Amino acid sequence: MTTTDLGTTQAAEASVAVSTRGRRARQPRPTAAKHLRATGTAYLMIAPMAVLLGIFVIWPLIYSFYLSTFEISFYQGSKFVGLKFYRFVLTDPDFWHSLRVGLGYSAMVVPSILVLSLLLASFIKTLSRKAGALLKTGVYVPAVVSSVVASVIFLFIYQDEGLANWLVGLLGAGPIAWLNTAGSALPAVAVPGVWMGFGISTLIMLAGMLDIPESYYESAMLDGANWIQRTWYITIPSLKNVLLYLLVTSFVLTLQELQLPLIMTGGGPVEATNLPNLFIFNQFRDNTPFATSYSLTAALLLFFVLGAISLLMFKLISSQKSQDS
Amino acid sequence: MISRPWYSPHRLVKALIGLLILVSALFPLAWMAMSGFKSKTEVLRSPFQFFPDVWNLQNYRDIFADPAFVRAMTVTFIGAVIFTILSLAVNAMAAYAFARLDFALKGFWWVYCITPMFIPAMAILLTSFVVVSKLGMLDTMAVLIIPGVAASAQMFFLRQFYLNMPVALEEAALIDGANRWQIFVRIFLPQSQGPFVVVGIASFLAYWNAYVWPVLVITNPDLTQIMQYIGNFRSDRGNDWGMLMAGSTLAALPTIALVLIFQRYIVNGVRISGMK
Repeated sequence: MTTTDLGTTQAAEASVAVSTRGRRARQPRPTAAKHLRATGTAYLMIAPMAVLLGIFVIWPLIYSFYLSTFEISFYQGSKFVGLKFYRFVLTDPDFWHSLRVGLGYSAMVVPSILVLSLLLASFIKTLSRKAGALLKTGVYVPAVVSSVVASVIFLFIYQDEGLANWLVGLLGAGPIAWLNTAGSALPAVAVPGVWMGFGISTLIMLAGMLDIPESYYESAMLDGANWIQRTWYITIPSLKNVLLYLLVTSFVLTLQELQLPLIMTGGGPVEATNLPNLFIFNQFRDNTPFATSYSLTAALLLFFVLGAISLLMFKLISSQKSQDS
Repeated sequence: MISRPWYSPHRLVKALIGLLILVSALFPLAWMAMSGFKSKTEVLRSPFQFFPDVWNLQNYRDIFADPAFVRAMTVTFIGAVIFTILSLAVNAMAAYAFARLDFALKGFWWVYCITPMFIPAMAILLTSFVVVSKLGMLDTMAVLIIPGVAASAQMFFLRQFYLNMPVALEEAALIDGANRWQIFVRIFLPQSQGPFVVVGIASFLAYWNAYVWPVLVITNPDLTQIMQYIGNFRSDRGNDWGMLMAGSTLAALPTIALVLIFQRYIVNGVRISGMK
């Protein structure tokens, strides 16, 4: 997935991961009988995929591990240094700073996306088929826009004489240098993050809501429960798995955000928007000695954490599903 | 539900909320397209005015007059089409094998093909760069297309679909003497329109919207990708916001058009795969 921008394939990935919850789709059919055995044909069919993944994913990953434990030098042979780079990264305050920035960014984007899509999905659910389809398409459109285009639009909005400053002007505040002030830069980058992210989670949440039996709501309404009570006591508990899935995937995706800060701020001002992947990317482009090994090690450390989180989530969701049934 | 007349206050409020949601979700895009129609003096002007005083086509004319822009759009479009076709072929074939065939070491190959879904792009971005430069692929169309063709998530999605296809058809074809390839091409592929649209669009978008990978591997101006052009616009041509907004509008247009054309499949795609 080297060329694949994570944000844009989220649609497919989202449906993929959610579908692991599906009852029917969980296991290969028991029809895998003798007449299905066709090793030769099957190998020909998976060969292109296996070879491509081998060259462009598996090998680079192994190579990353190799480089992170060897000191590569042009003058002498490479030398095994064990976990030296890992220690080096883990004691580097800049790495921890970028993680804190990343967590701050996620803390702004993820809850906004979840609340917004819960509200939107609840509303769209009540609409007629046609109106619902219109709104679903409408909220999905921002999700397919490239983050480069989104960055450029919001850069334009944050200009000194731009739209954002006109808005705060209405409230009587002076113009703000949105992307050049340490306090406002990260929230300013988070806004396009939310804008691009809320559409897909709305669709996923809506799909989950359509599975909740209407009778739950009807009996609650007979008891006089208002919308907030119905949402709190019926919708949210019924959507537990979907919410957990969305929480974790959006967390993992936002923590890896690269393009928005890369184009909008380059990591500044005073590193306030230097998200982990941008930090790693910039380290790689630096010409300091061992920059490659350093940035690779940082990327791998991030990979361990994120990979562990995703795996844990998949385990959690499938184990809950089996308890349910 | 009690049906209410269309003019009831209840419905009116709903329609207003719906309109508000649509307008705010699409506003940034509309603002971009509008700014493309504004002259240099008007484009960054307070107070806010949505429509231009004078509809000015100069920015759109300028951007089309820039050969670098036209070339970037063309090259990226050709690349995205080839990329989409290749990845559909590669991923659908593997998906069929995993869904419908039994073979030696299936469990191992399954883990091998699905693990990349959990590997963040950044962990392999830098070494992928080293690999493609050693293969002599830098500054070619191949380096933009080939490395991303095999996509675990898409293969998984197609496999889920093939798992749910009825076995009866296949068995009948086997009895008639058809081989696996014939079954895949004649029976499975024609039935795959819906999922193909969903993963095909995801592939097209991934290629069209890519920025970081092209920036790393392409330095030849003839192969500059459209998002590279947009991302580098300000450093190459200065702060000409009107022209940049016009260019961004055109660069976003194919992706938005795809969604509008295939909206039925996308909206249903999430529903079907997710919740049955």
